[in-house]
Amino acid sequence: MDPSNASARISLRQSADPRLVLADRVRQLYSQMPTAIISTLIVSALAVYELREGRYIEILWFWGGLVVMLTLMRTVLYLGYRRSTDKVGDAAQWLRWLGISALAAGATWGFAAAVFFPSHADQQQVFIAFLLAVLVGGGIAIYAVSWPIYALFAAGILFPFNYVLATFGNRLFAEIAFIVPVFYVINVGIAYRLNRVFNSGYRLRHAYGKLTDDYSALNQRLERQLVELDEARRQVEASGRKLALFAERSPIAVFEFDAHGSILSANPAAETLFGYSAAELIGRTGTETLFPSSDRNWIGERWSDLIRKREPLFGLRTEATRRDGATITCEWSLTPLVNAENRVISVIVQGRDITQQLEAERMKQEFTSTLSHELRTPLTSIIGSLQLINSGVLGDIDKDVLELTSIAERNGQRLLDLINDILDIEKIESGKLALFSEPMLLADMVTESLALNRGFADRFKVRLAATGELPPVKVNADRKRLLQVMTNLLSNAAKFSPEGSTVQVSMEMADGTVRVGVGDNGPGIPESFRNRIFGRFAQADMSYTRQKGGTGLGLSICKRLIEMMDGKIGFSDRSGGGTTFWFELPTHR
Amino acid sequence: MPAQPLDRICYVEDDEDIQRIVRMSLERVGKMTVEVVGDPLMAIDRIRAFKPQLVMLDWMMPGLDGPALFAKMRATADVNELPVVFITAKASQRDLDDLRAMGAVGAISKPFSPKDLPDQLRAIWHALP
Repeated sequence: MDPSNASARISLRQSADPRLVLADRVRQLYSQMPTAIISTLIVSALAVYELREGRYIEILWFWGGLVVMLTLMRTVLYLGYRRSTDKVGDAAQWLRWLGISALAAGATWGFAAAVFFPSHADQQQVFIAFLLAVLVGGGIAIYAVSWPIYALFAAGILFPFNYVLATFGNRLFAEIAFIVPVFYVINVGIAYRLNRVFNSGYRLRHAYGKLTDDYSALNQRLERQLVELDEARRQVEASGRKLALFAERSPIAVFEFDAHGSILSANPAAETLFGYSAAELIGRTGTETLFPSSDRNWIGERWSDLIRKREPLFGLRTEATRRDGATITCEWSLTPLVNAENRVISVIVQGRDITQQLEAERMKQEFTSTLSHELRTPLTSIIGSLQLINSGVLGDIDKDVLELTSIAERNGQRLLDLINDILDIEKIESGKLALFSEPMLLADMVTESLALNRGFADRFKVRLAATGELPPVKVNADRKRLLQVMTNLLSNAAKFSPEGSTVQVSMEMADGTVRVGVGDNGPGIPESFRNRIFGRFAQADMSYTRQKGGTGLGLSICKRLIEMMDGKIGFSDRSGGGTTFWFELPTHR
Repeated sequence: MPAQPLDRICYVEDDEDIQRIVRMSLERVGKMTVEVVGDPLMAIDRIRAFKPQLVMLDWMMPGLDGPALFAKMRATADVNELPVVFITAKASQRDLDDLRAMGAVGAISKPFSPKDLPDQLRAIWHALP
């Protein structure tokens, strides 16, 4: 026998649930009870009939009554078991009851042997001995599923009988009394062997049953997984088709590299950008094919770094060489694809030609620079000349002329404001606006801004005034830029307030921040304009803009500047009309 | 602070309109004596001859721009000690910081106010050690 098969069977048997095996054994024992009861009644009736001639007829009737009572009790036990709802949980208890009933049945027969064997003649004695042998032998078939129960049953019969044989005073019977225990042991041994065979059989049956259940469950699970896998495969295929389509139609060059930097695939945009066909690119080393020799070392180092860290790299700008030798500037995104074992399968490399973009940026910067110089220089002459005329240092001027030159000066200033705003926005958006923040007393800046803007407010016959105490709190801010914000808020408030009114400036402390508010008495902010008031070129009403002046860039610049200083800006309606624009800055400790 | 009040200024600027406005501003409003130089290549000789208390330089000029002229002045005897103020429409804050590091005493942005220009220059003059 193959030892591995034997051990597999042992392991299989051990996998059976012992509770279920016990319940099966008990069921088997109880299933034999009707046979046992009927057999007992028949044999008992036969015994009564054969032994009726003896001296102890009363005892015989008593014994007959005992058998009937015991039979009734065993019937009740059998019916009780049949009606039991938890045959598995209560199996041990039912087994104990059956053991007691078997012992009682055996003892009843033992009693008969002990009483009737000595009192009857030889013929009946042979009958009794034969009857007992049949019972002991038949008991094996009934109780073999539990050898201890059989041992109890047989002991109940044979021990009293053996005692009688041993003490009868007959040599032959004394010799038989020596053989009976051997007979008992042999029978119990047979019952024990049968018990083991039964146990093994039950265990195997349950183990196979469990295996079948497990197999069935496994089969169902496998079927479910197969369905899921099939769905997943369809999705992966669909994604693959989508990805392939994206790569094919993408205006961005897409390469797939292996971990060593060799090209595995290239999309049509990559072919167009670099002037090679995909077939020519596949298998080539990327650094040697796509980059100028002067850059290969550092690009190779970045590649090694990427493979080691297994982290994507975005926005890498390099010079790249086309097949025709032309040099372009590319911006790359590199994404390593890593499998479950943390091994780099390949790297997806997306490249975009930004040569023209960089040129456009350079031109934009040049334009901005030119705008700055070439517009400011003539404005210096225009505004400067008008200021000199209007200041009166050149002598008295006709009133009408003065009015016109004042208009010219004011509009020159508007043009200058517009240029300054556009330059500021350009600097902010290109990230080139540098702030020079330092701890400063906010109240001083507020007071200075009021002084600087009073002249402007006078033109609109509006007063600027601080409300309440200005607390001596410090903030970390760029003084010049904060003055620009205040100037913007104050000039807006003055422009949109009615003549004779007062623009009120306040400072309030709140939990690590300080809020500066500029309250006007204007018409308020229309509902439709509220969510875009801090946007670029934001004006509620263009006709109003022309009337009041302003570029619509001021609040957008203020918002960016305040945010760059880690603050917030907003507005709220004032009770009784008008609007308060405010900004908050963290206090400096 | 210098003991003398500021009244002699040399201004190097290629734009004739701005030359005239600055001259008017400093002469009429500031009551100063002004020497305007249009050609930056002639500037050092003219400065030497005029002996100003303070020199104003435009930033962008043909032939020799303001920073280059400033560097040349710093390397030329007689004019290397003169305080220099830049008037510019273009310089970034970083450029101005660099010039201050080289020894420029101030910078005024274009467009400036002719009414305020003399006072701005006097404030710079009084702030000198």
